[in-house]
Amino acid sequence: MTVIELADVVKRYRTGAEEITALDGVDFRAERGELVTIIGPSGSGKSTLLNMIGLLDTPTAGHIRLDGREVTDFSEDDLTEERRSGIGFVFQEFHLLPMLTATENVELPSMWDTGVDRRDRAVDLLERVGLGDRLDHRPAELSGGQSQRVAIARSLINEPEILLADEPTGNLDQDTGATILDELTRLKEAEEIAIVAVTHDEQLVDYADRVVRLVDGVLQ
Amino acid sequence: MAWRNLGRNRVRTALATLGIVIGVVAIASLGIAGVALQQQATSDLGGLSDEVTVTPGEDATEDEITDDQVDDIRSLAPASTVVPQKSNQTTLTARNGDEQRVQVTGITNANALYNLTTGRAPERLQSGALVSNSTARTLGLELGDPIEYDGRLYRIEGVIASTEGFGGGGNELVLPPSALSTQEHYDSVTILIDEGRTASGVTGDLEVWFNEGDEEVVSVQNFADVEEQIGSFFETLNLALLGIGSISLVVASVAILNVMLMSTIERRGEIGVLRAVGIRRGEVLRMILTEALFLGVLGGVVGAALSVAVGLVLFHLLTDDPLLVLQWRSAQYVVYGFGFAVLASGLSGLYPAWKAANNRPVEALRG
Repeated sequence: MTVIELADVVKRYRTGAEEITALDGVDFRAERGELVTIIGPSGSGKSTLLNMIGLLDTPTAGHIRLDGREVTDFSEDDLTEERRSGIGFVFQEFHLLPMLTATENVELPSMWDTGVDRRDRAVDLLERVGLGDRLDHRPAELSGGQSQRVAIARSLINEPEILLADEPTGNLDQDTGATILDELTRLKEAEEIAIVAVTHDEQLVDYADRVVRLVDGVLQ
Repeated sequence: MAWRNLGRNRVRTALATLGIVIGVVAIASLGIAGVALQQQATSDLGGLSDEVTVTPGEDATEDEITDDQVDDIRSLAPASTVVPQKSNQTTLTARNGDEQRVQVTGITNANALYNLTTGRAPERLQSGALVSNSTARTLGLELGDPIEYDGRLYRIEGVIASTEGFGGGGNELVLPPSALSTQEHYDSVTILIDEGRTASGVTGDLEVWFNEGDEEVVSVQNFADVEEQIGSFFETLNLALLGIGSISLVVASVAILNVMLMSTIERRGEIGVLRAVGIRRGEVLRMILTEALFLGVLGGVVGAALSVAVGLVLFHLLTDDPLLVLQWRSAQYVVYGFGFAVLASGLSGLYPAWKAANNRPVEALRG
């Protein structure tokens, strides 16, 4: 089932006097239960593409459909709602909040929801990624791999349909990276979500169900 | 969340809060000081506010208040006690040679104006004398001792207690009006206003009766007017002091604005993450605003407590009743200071909060 679909998406933006075309007519889709890896050199537009898929940015031209719904012209507030309920993010730098415990970090996306308590799900997710004994630790007390696993658990708290990973293994050594990728693979099947990862890391190619190459804003 | 965010940089939070504390203490203390000073000034005057004093005016034919005029005054204020007086000065000599200059007052109904420590103040002073406490002590005089004035002797019938207020506690000798025989009429008339009238009311009647047109036949003075003038002076003073105090709070707000801006700029990445995972702009704004308000509340509470302490000291020094600071008249400044602090912090937090909320996640995460 197609979770996200990009049709002929173009993204141009101005820096100073120049106009840069980051994406030049990209077609992309991701299905539930598949891990898609986007590979490409620096400057190829990988991050821009990820921002499009993650509804963090709007295209200059083209269409984006989330779960079959047209979200191309959504307002910032509407996009925020979509991200809140449907999209999970994992970043290269983890981006955990330093003054919250692991459990609180996982709960973060749902913290402002009134009348909802996701603590149990947060604990469950942390246990499933193997951090059941680190529930009250702060990020400063966690290793890189552990932090990334907390980030993964966080990305799943609101039961999203798609998980976006921007260089998820970028700050991790080889072995830890492999552990993380195992984790992601298990989760994509258990949660039936699509995972789209952008990376330089060749390991991700091995784990991927599908690999897509981006060069100069165009998919090969 | 807001609370924990503030805890991340305790020194910075403490300094920003300190600014608010100083601002609140400034406003509240200056306001309280104004009230305390006013309290002290008016309590000194308090006893005189129901008195009116009539003296010969600039355009009086003789430099005295005549018997006819005294009768007029009596009919204008029938329920009040009218006390005509003759005044002079003299030097009294004690047995041991000590001298003291005293004010001499010739008065009939002595009991109206004087409180005695010993002896009884007669309603009609005919042949006795009263001396003030200070004079009695200086010259070693006691009840029953004779005093010589203008060739005649008078026995001391009473000793006057020292009083507060203008002209009290001086050195006085009180004699029957006949003792000051060189004067036919009176130098002044003191009217003790009865409860049914006000000093201003009686003053008004006297002015209308005696001073026709621009002529000032008699000069009427009442301390209630003076008290009012003092009151309005203090009100103006208070406002000025509060204005100054407010400036310091404005400065503290600028500090909070600065702190909040720095804090949100430092946290761009984090706030970007919050927005990326779907936290709404309004929720981010509320979080930052709450942080700013916390600073205000924290500083406000500490400032209020300190101000009450300062107020207790001020009132103790100026009026001997420290608990007066808790009356609304002065306590209101503590409340204003606190309220202003919270309001100012909230306003200072608005801009940084708005900025943080509207940062585009894409750009925030890039850094």
